[in-house]
Amino acid sequence: MKKNKINYSKEHKKYLKQIKIDKFTTLVAQVLLLVAIVGLWELLTYVGVLDAFFISSPSRMINELVELFKDGMLFYHIGVTLYETLIGFLIATVLGTLIAIILWWSRKLRKILEPYIVILNALPKIALGPVIIIWVGAGTGAIITMCILICIVITTLSMLSAFLECDEDKISLMRSMGANKFQILVKLVIPNALTEFVSVLKINVGMSWVGTIMGEYLVSKAGLGYLIVYGGQVFQLDLVMASTLVLCILACVMYLFVGLLEKKVRKHKE
Amino acid sequence: MDNYLQLKDISLSYHTKEGEVLALKNIDFSVKKNEFVSIVGPSGCGKTTILSLISGLLKPSSGEVLLDGEKITKDTSIGYMFQRDNLFPWRTIYKNVTIGLEIKHQKKDKESLSHVDDLLNKYGLHDFKNSYPSQLSGGMRQRAALIRTLCLKPKILLLDEPFSALDYQTKLSVCDDVHSIITKENQTAILVTHDISEAISVSDRIIVLSKRPATIKCIQKIEIDRALTPLKRRESPEFSKYFDLIYRELTSEKK
Ligand SMILES: Nc1ncnc2c1ncn2[C@@H]1O[C@H](COP(=O)(O)OP(=O)(O)OP(=O)(O)O)[C@@H](O)[C@H]1O
Ligand SMILES: [Mg+2]
Repeated sequence: MKKNKINYSKEHKKYLKQIKIDKFTTLVAQVLLLVAIVGLWELLTYVGVLDAFFISSPSRMINELVELFKDGMLFYHIGVTLYETLIGFLIATVLGTLIAIILWWSRKLRKILEPYIVILNALPKIALGPVIIIWVGAGTGAIITMCILICIVITTLSMLSAFLECDEDKISLMRSMGANKFQILVKLVIPNALTEFVSVLKINVGMSWVGTIMGEYLVSKAGLGYLIVYGGQVFQLDLVMASTLVLCILACVMYLFVGLLEKKVRKHKE
Repeated sequence: MDNYLQLKDISLSYHTKEGEVLALKNIDFSVKKNEFVSIVGPSGCGKTTILSLISGLLKPSSGEVLLDGEKITKDTSIGYMFQRDNLFPWRTIYKNVTIGLEIKHQKKDKESLSHVDDLLNKYGLHDFKNSYPSQLSGGMRQRAALIRTLCLKPKILLLDEPFSALDYQTKLSVCDDVHSIITKENQTAILVTHDISEAISVSDRIIVLSKRPATIKCIQKIEIDRALTPLKRRESPEFSKYFDLIYRELTSEKK
């Protein structure tokens, strides 16, 4: 796996070049597709083939965003949603992993709780909306709770199965060297599940946005989900579309961060 | 030290939902200090089970295991090598090799650390201290796995088919390697293998087991010069005689 600077043969250079060309043409096509969609959308609404009132248009979305920005509301709403999502994401990931550790530790507890976890996993969490509002109150708390609920079960299940997948031979090896259960957990089982943890983070990035927006649909006075619902109610498609666009961008950025983390972790896999 | 390791009339059953499986029956043998003993037997007969017993990972249903006159406990220092090297891919070779010291909280012990450096130097892994296992060849990885166990100065080494995952050429040279390290470090070792030639080439004695439930069919002394390397031993004139003897024992139907 050493990275030597070898003088490659002509054929190999050609091969490498081909890969580069391939990558480049794919990128060009992707950009062109985006430009085409945006352009067509703008054009068709501009000439009146499509009604911009119903489907908005790129220029109207930009205008909407600029208006929001001028009012100082754009970053306010982004901030609210981002805050809820990040808090929900963090709590769900940490708590879910801790529960998975406890369940890994105690086989008995795992057996006892198994049916409950299965049911909780199958349950559409949105159905708990009204209950959450009554118990937690119609506010930020309810939104974060919704976000946590959506992420935590899948976190626990994925992490638990990653912990349990740890190679028996490696565990025997640790035990033969006199390791206790805690040492096996910390030195073997947890580091061994690190790649799975990153996948869970990736899933949770998507899920936490789902949870937060769902929560904001139910109860909210601010945030991107609120803007979308509000826009829908007053029939302002520009607002709906603009907010959705911002949401897309935010989710992408968060995903990219996790992607960077993944690269670091994947470096030393077998 | 004629009875360095003693297995006294061991029997062991596994209990599963499907029923009870008698894996070992009246296993009784002992190993001398610095002796190299191999265990051969049909697959699934209970070879790994015997090693698990000696390492204390399993308790016998009846009988007892004594090492150096004492019962095996969690603190008895045992070296266990598996078919796969089981190096942790996220740790460097150095950190892999010293994991036993970490577990025993001897990571700061000067004497242990210099012992580690010694071993790494002596067995050609010093330059790879900071490499990751994925950067090493199969043979080097197995050597690292051996050094990992030697760091804890084990009272006995248990080797469970440590070469069977390697291709034939590598297997021969790694076997030479491991055998010479074990001899130099004055270790007592028990090797489990499917490969009769391999067993003859490294052992002082070979224990032949029957099908499950494993009983001892015979114990064969191998009298080929110990100073020879395994590869040289394979070329000795007595080699094929021993091969025939053990092959016949393995395949004979009588109990
Ligand atoms: N944890 C277990 N629970 C139930 N039965 C087991 C267990 N481990 C092993 N056995 C059974 O005990 C017998 C002996 O197993 P063991 O692994 O010791 O055999 P082996 O000689 O090492 O086999 P191999 O040559 O395949 O490595 C086998 O028939 C196996 O099915
Ligand atoms: Mg086995």
